[in-house]
Amino acid sequence: MNALTLALAQSLVVAASFAAPPFADDEALKKDLTAVIALHGLPCGQVVDVMEQAESDYAASCKDGNTYRVYLNPAGRVVVEKRK
Amino acid sequence: MHAACAGVLLLLVTAGCARVNPDTPEAEPAAAPPSRARTAAPQAASKAAPPAAKTTAAAPALDLKTLEEQLKDTKAIGFFTKITLRNQVDDLLEQFREYYQGKAKLTMKDLRRSYDLLMMKVLSLLQDEDQKLASAIVSSREAIWGLLADPKTFATLRG
Repeated sequence: MNALTLALAQSLVVAASFAAPPFADDEALKKDLTAVIALHGLPCGQVVDVMEQAESDYAASCKDGNTYRVYLNPAGRVVVEKRK
Repeated sequence: MHAACAGVLLLLVTAGCARVNPDTPEAEPAAAPPSRARTAAPQAASKAAPPAAKTTAAAPALDLKTLEEQLKDTKAIGFFTKITLRNQVDDLLEQFREYYQGKAKLTMKDLRRSYDLLMMKVLSLLQDEDQKLASAIVSSREAIWGLLADPKTFATLRG
């Protein structure tokens, strides 16, 4: 039982360490998406939170309260869709 | 990913070097006396217009390869931003194509405005974190426009 608990604890620690995204990369992604939204002429100010929904598909929350879905479509275009 | 980024500023890249006098500063240092080659254009310009102070501060226009590499490698622009810019470059090229085919609703003046706006976007993204590249693009700006605005050279941009 003890061994099982220990193994579980260890795996949780390992999983947690992988789950935490590197801060620098996260900031770079926010900056990238901020630029993308601005290039599409949409209001945002600054992306303050990003959630990856799939590969090359993100939900971005802006400082001004707007939220967008930013994704790469099959044609190779970056699409920005406003969400409610 | 890099392959996708490579085409990003095809337009900028293509122009910077193409046909416009290879100013390649570092690319071919041994080919010819570098200092003369580099200053040839400014000298010509200064003959026509004595106040050459502005041109001395500007970075020399880059050749295609160098500019392409620098745009690919710059960390000032993120991946999605590069793709977005490439989309916008493609859109602009399409507008030029339609214009030359007589299908466009846009005038050359409109195209110039779109081009200037796109350049400003690129420069806005670069100027704080990659000033060297921003300067090089500024220096290449008119040469690039010259290629786009001439239907003959435009036709050679994409085979």
